[in-house]
Amino acid sequence: MSLLEIKNLSIHFVTRYSDVHAVNGVDLTIEEGKTLGLVGETGAGKTTTALGILRLIQKPQGRYESGEIIFKGKDLLKATDDEMRSVRGNEISMIFQDPMTALNPILTVGDQIAEVIHLHGKCSQAEANERAVKMLEMVGIRAERAGEYPHQFSGGMKQRVVIAMALACNPSLLIADEPTTALDVTIQAQVLEMMADLKKGRGTAMLLITHDLGIVAENCDDVAIMYAGEVIEYGTLERIFHNPKHPYTLGLFGSIPSLDKDEERLHPIEGLMPDPAALPAGCKFHDRCAYATDECASCEQELAEMESGHKVRCARVMKGEI
Amino acid sequence: MGELIRVEHLKKYFNTPGGKLHAVDDVSFVINEGDTLGVVGESGCGKSTLGRTVLKLIEPTDGKIFYKGRDITDITEKENKQLRKKMQIIFQDPYSSLNPRKTVSELIADPLKAFHMLDKAGRAQKVAQLMDVVGLSQRFANSYPHELDGGRRQRIGVARALSLDPEFIVCDEPVSALDVSIQAQILNLLQDLQRDRGLTYIFVTHDLSVVRHISTDILVMYIGAMVEKCGAKDLFKAPLHPYTKGLLSAIPVPNIDHVREKVKLQGELTSPIEPKDECRFIARCPYATEACKQHMPEFQEVAPNHFVACHNVKTINNM
Repeated sequence: MSLLEIKNLSIHFVTRYSDVHAVNGVDLTIEEGKTLGLVGETGAGKTTTALGILRLIQKPQGRYESGEIIFKGKDLLKATDDEMRSVRGNEISMIFQDPMTALNPILTVGDQIAEVIHLHGKCSQAEANERAVKMLEMVGIRAERAGEYPHQFSGGMKQRVVIAMALACNPSLLIADEPTTALDVTIQAQVLEMMADLKKGRGTAMLLITHDLGIVAENCDDVAIMYAGEVIEYGTLERIFHNPKHPYTLGLFGSIPSLDKDEERLHPIEGLMPDPAALPAGCKFHDRCAYATDECASCEQELAEMESGHKVRCARVMKGEI
Repeated sequence: MGELIRVEHLKKYFNTPGGKLHAVDDVSFVINEGDTLGVVGESGCGKSTLGRTVLKLIEPTDGKIFYKGRDITDITEKENKQLRKKMQIIFQDPYSSLNPRKTVSELIADPLKAFHMLDKAGRAQKVAQLMDVVGLSQRFANSYPHELDGGRRQRIGVARALSLDPEFIVCDEPVSALDVSIQAQILNLLQDLQRDRGLTYIFVTHDLSVVRHISTDILVMYIGAMVEKCGAKDLFKAPLHPYTKGLLSAIPVPNIDHVREKVKLQGELTSPIEPKDECRFIARCPYATEACKQHMPEFQEVAPNHFVACHNVKTINNM
């Protein structure tokens, strides 16, 4: 049995003026101890999917239109608020993109980590404090610094504190939402390496949200590419990187300047992502796609299995025309 | 092609309560017409300050800046304003660098107005032409910046910089705030403009794959000082300074068959306030020796057009 199975998840934000279709029929699976990379551009629905798993979608605008989120055999969408509270931070925890705003500025970092342990661990305050200091040392921060406030740490150090907090209760699933986007490249390498080591040591599964295909290549087992709220290509790391099929995935690869090949020009995808409040009919990508036919503009596309461990949402790829 | 910009021993120190902050410390380079100098480094290494000081948006503390052989370091405010027509800048954040109360056409016409160029009809014509050049559809002429996405806003920034027909543009992280597919569109636009108009760029960025793609030469900075400078392709083929090696091997590569030798850098940037007279990279360098503590290494040419500031460059690279 998979650790987490998301089936046909749709999340809409409904206001008086608009109906934003942020996530549309997403299916994802995460196996125990594995890392799934969720890739896409701004507004593709990556973060909404992640928040959706933890039931952190803001009511009343945010609505689950359909779907199931099965975690360890139980549907989280049917869980009570009390049950959810014991899942969050305990069994599933999250690392947010911006470490500058994810920490409470008026609590010391030691207290913030101890709070999580105390809440979920059913242990004394003293024991929680002791374990918090151990967590800090594990992410490479000296024990003496436990009494310092977030503003006394650099960006990379703050992200380490956030990671220590997320791992404090030994969760079985870690959701990391662009954990290194705000960091410099050498610090990013340090943080990613530390996360990989900790994950391996504890057997934690991870949903890694990123827009950087380089980070995916070095850290993930499986990859899902999202576009306009849909998963448009899904498969093992090898299948996606050796044999990308969907025109959007190809466009993403073509947009990155290479580090060892000389190219005169980049090959970007023309146009922009559609407005999630007014998604086009048919394939959501058809108006930017070089291979689109009249059929693409009218028929909804299915995420279909192309080969074992590789699914694509494109009728023309499935017919072997691209 | 002749030289367009020459910078000699440029320094910019800022006063802070803790002492002088060395944002740019003894930087020299030459850029020829039609070339692009890429400036890379981590946050706080002084790359943006360098770009702005060359344009004289910030007064240098010491050193000289030459434009087409003419010393522009101490020219009057009036002369400086005339020079602005030839030297422009594209800012990093298209969300905060545009006046939210002006329409797209007003924004693009602003530089022309500031220099009293053309009459109203002429300006309108020029704005329409510029919008075409940067790929902005005419239907956005009366839109406000908040109605546009990041890529289109950055196109406004490019159009503004082009409006006075400059020869030299400092691009200060122009694509960092954009998604990768939009980033590629803007990079292609900048390259086309350079080819068609013979523009010269300083391209400031922290993204190494972007800088390799667009630059002729690359300058690597670390805490205000020059660390390495050479041709763009050479830098990626054979980096010589330990910092450059670490920086390059820290980039995640979107290729799963790529196995690289990794030079891991420990620690973080040290403080740029009153740095000691020693190699600035000493705290993070895996090759540091006693000599590195004695004084700051000189920036010297170790191979044709390849400059490095490192005491141990020969031993590290078996040269």
